[in-house]
Amino acid sequence: MKIGLEIHIQLPTRTKLFCSCSTAGDEVNSSVCPICLGFPGSRPMLNRRALEMGASIAKFLNCEITDKVWFSRKTYFYPDLAKNYQITQYETPLGRNGHFMVGDRRIGIWEAHIEEDPGRIKRAGRAGEEVALVDYNRSGVPLVEIVTAPDLTSPEEARAFLSDLLIELRHLVGLSPQDETTVRADGNISVGEERVEIKNINGLRNIERALKFEVKRQSRLLAAGKKIVRETRRFDEELGTTLPSREKEFEEDYGYIGEPDLGTFVIGPMARAMELPETPLARASRLEREHGVAAASARQMVLTSWELADMFEVLASRFGGETATTWTLGPLASHWKELQERHGDRLGSNVVPIIEQVRAGRITDAEARMRLDVLAGREAAPAATPAAEGDLEQLVARLVDSHPEVVKDYRTNPRAANFLIGQVMKETQGRYASKEVSDMIRKELEKRV
Amino acid sequence: MDEETVRKVARVARLDLTDEEVSRYAADLEDILSTFEVLDEAPSTEDFNLDPVPVEDRLRDDEVLAYPDPARLRREMRTADGWVRGPRLT
Amino acid sequence: MNGAELAAAVRRADGGHQVFAERLEDPIAYEGAHAFHFSAKDNLCSIDFQTRSGSRILEGYRPPFDATAIERLRKAGGLLIGKTNMDEFGFGSFSANSAIGVPRNPFDRERCCGGSSGGAAAAASLIEGHLAVGVSTGGSISCPASFCGVVGLTPTYGRVSRWGLIDYGTSLDKVGLLSASSAPIRRYLPVISGPDALDPTSQTQPPLDMSGGVDSVAVPEEMLADLSDDMRDAFQGAVGKLEGMGVEVRKVAMPALRYALPAYYILATAEASTNMARYCGMRYGDIVEDTDLGFNELFSSVRSRDLGSETKRRILLGTFCRMVGLRDRYYIKALQVRQLVIRQYEEVFRDADAVLTPTMPYVAPRFDEIEKMTALEAYHADILTVPPNLAGLPHISLPCAYIGGMPAGMQLVAPHWEEGRLLSLAERWENELQYRIPEGRA
Repeated sequence: MKIGLEIHIQLPTRTKLFCSCSTAGDEVNSSVCPICLGFPGSRPMLNRRALEMGASIAKFLNCEITDKVWFSRKTYFYPDLAKNYQITQYETPLGRNGHFMVGDRRIGIWEAHIEEDPGRIKRAGRAGEEVALVDYNRSGVPLVEIVTAPDLTSPEEARAFLSDLLIELRHLVGLSPQDETTVRADGNISVGEERVEIKNINGLRNIERALKFEVKRQSRLLAAGKKIVRETRRFDEELGTTLPSREKEFEEDYGYIGEPDLGTFVIGPMARAMELPETPLARASRLEREHGVAAASARQMVLTSWELADMFEVLASRFGGETATTWTLGPLASHWKELQERHGDRLGSNVVPIIEQVRAGRITDAEARMRLDVLAGREAAPAATPAAEGDLEQLVARLVDSHPEVVKDYRTNPRAANFLIGQVMKETQGRYASKEVSDMIRKELEKRV
Repeated sequence: MDEETVRKVARVARLDLTDEEVSRYAADLEDILSTFEVLDEAPSTEDFNLDPVPVEDRLRDDEVLAYPDPARLRREMRTADGWVRGPRLT
Repeated sequence: MNGAELAAAVRRADGGHQVFAERLEDPIAYEGAHAFHFSAKDNLCSIDFQTRSGSRILEGYRPPFDATAIERLRKAGGLLIGKTNMDEFGFGSFSANSAIGVPRNPFDRERCCGGSSGGAAAAASLIEGHLAVGVSTGGSISCPASFCGVVGLTPTYGRVSRWGLIDYGTSLDKVGLLSASSAPIRRYLPVISGPDALDPTSQTQPPLDMSGGVDSVAVPEEMLADLSDDMRDAFQGAVGKLEGMGVEVRKVAMPALRYALPAYYILATAEASTNMARYCGMRYGDIVEDTDLGFNELFSSVRSRDLGSETKRRILLGTFCRMVGLRDRYYIKALQVRQLVIRQYEEVFRDADAVLTPTMPYVAPRFDEIEKMTALEAYHADILTVPPNLAGLPHISLPCAYIGGMPAGMQLVAPHWEEGRLLSLAERWENELQYRIPEGRA
């Protein structure tokens, strides 16, 4: 099975690709101007930030950067397309022949380029007679289009690919988590020999649903000895099925020409000079390599919070990967939000001494956990009143009485006390400091020895 | 440029042509295209540009400049509750 | 002229020669204080008039903004008196393809004004002291200037902002000026020139330099082949006068120019066919709502009904030249050929300040002659104006003779950005030849 995707992601610029309208229009047809409406006599002007973002994405995807790029007109007729042509990049994508790793699988990226989004259509009227109502707020919003090689081998892998890609791009250019719903893709799937295209699927979840359905559909046909027709289909979100494409049967030849109004752009030097920040999954890989962290743990760390991974690296450099992992993924991760809120920059200097103590054996793990809890603003135990000294003495006495073998052991081996210390700590749920408990137990034991 | 080609091109360009028009345009375009054959003699070159003068690296800063009167633009079109009314989709 | 006189002159021009698609009607409008009066070709967006580009498909369209050229002239104190008639969307050389009004030649009403800025040339010819803004893609300023006996300057591509110009050929359109003498053009070219934030192609120009002159010209031999005898004689006469002025005239060979006309028609129509796609009866102009037709049928129906036959022909040709399997041979090749033509001119400019030819192969044809022309014959009218237009070079057409009472022009082409030297020569030339005034004026 081969799956390839053509992915469209909105770039988080303030303004549209070719005009200074805000990309954050709310009321219908309010963030529009003569340019994004394609009024006669209007002409485009390229958004610098969009070009830079596009180039950084192409570089991130390990593409060969095209030194000189320009834009093209893709002409077709549809009510959401203000000029009845879309300005895109046909001859000169920003980058070609890249790749993206999903786990240890290398997925080829054929190209990445930028283009403008059409407007948004709302269908109105009776089924079969619907008319288009168009909101051009979206017309002209910048998109990056990423085209993969047909290297994906299942709908699940495709989903993982997209999910990981979005994680990385979120950090790289600042996509928001909502981009899981606004990402769009066309999918090309061949279970057998023939390739079927599914166009314009909206959102991560639907992309997976559409691919899964199509795989089933093609498999069933093949199992029944039928041929798969090479065609373009669409995904119906309500039915959850793919259907033959119903509308664009009219003759279409995009007839690409260059866009003379924009001219050419030399992006080679700019792209080469770019220093890309480390992205989450790339960081996870590095943590695996450098500190021997398990892949799943590293991933969990970077996805919880960037600063959590920072903390990990601080701890790892002092105490090694294993210790750092235990403490970062355990107590630190579970109260991360509170720890960050209460301590901000000083968190590291508050946490490190605690770990140091426990590593040196001066406090127990449980004690350390409690102190971290305290740092996070949580009470060590839900006691309303502080425990009276007498309670502990009674408890210790009871426990020592019920473990005569420990008393016997203690005569020759002082460390036998540890078992009892642990028991008391467990029963008292950390109401007492471990040193206090330890002193009390030794006192009691000494009495009987 | 035979009549079948003219019909195909007309469909792509969203032009309804009568039979008379198809035949007339086919003849015109055949003549015109034959004068283009001289270009096959011209040397090819990797060097070409979209514009006759250099237009390079013309970029716009990513700063919002809201159009002052979108309502004026909407008045040129037919709208319903602010949505632009378009044609039937099927 | 005072306001009333101007109003009368405009009315007369329009009544006798169908110059305007729309104009100021109310005499009071002419009384307003203004430093000068101007008109604009009807493909330049103007707030206070319809802008229809000679077409039914833009019937009723009132732009919400002025073209930059118009805005700058208004700011300089100009009064926009009207929008001039033109070939639909610029497609033509006689302004006969107008769905609104076909302008008639100031010297002979049975003859055309040339095109596509025919109305602009007629306005410049018929209204004293008038500045007409025109647009050239393949010669649409030179041609009507020659046919109507006025001065027409086409600046370098990118010299004047095209914001608000309804596009024909995006890499070929240039906004320029026509007037009965060169002085108003010299005065107002700096006003409309200069970078515009709204047009990226206007942003790499060097400052306008009005100095420099023309001391030597080169005449490409190939371009004298297809002239009428009268035109050849008239041109030789003009050459003699130039030599008498001390201008050195030399014959050169410019073999690459034979590729110019085909390359131009491929590029211009390919770009135009995409520029025309937006006109589909949905967002401005003639809006059609018909809920029985699907969108493809509706778009096709409106376009077919509202667009003229020359427009359709060019859309078909342009669409063809960029289709799959054809675009390399036609569209891409034409882009390459443009560079060849530019380099051919650059070679010649090493030894000459300007290239000189007649502007048109003949004087303004009669309307009945135009009716009989094939499409190919009509395209061939552009044979002399297309080369500089394809190359984006600045050029000027100056009246140089009168043949049977009809004006004939000569065309000078300068290197990119050197409009100044053309206007200097134009000024000197006006001492050599007294331009005739048509009877329609006075």
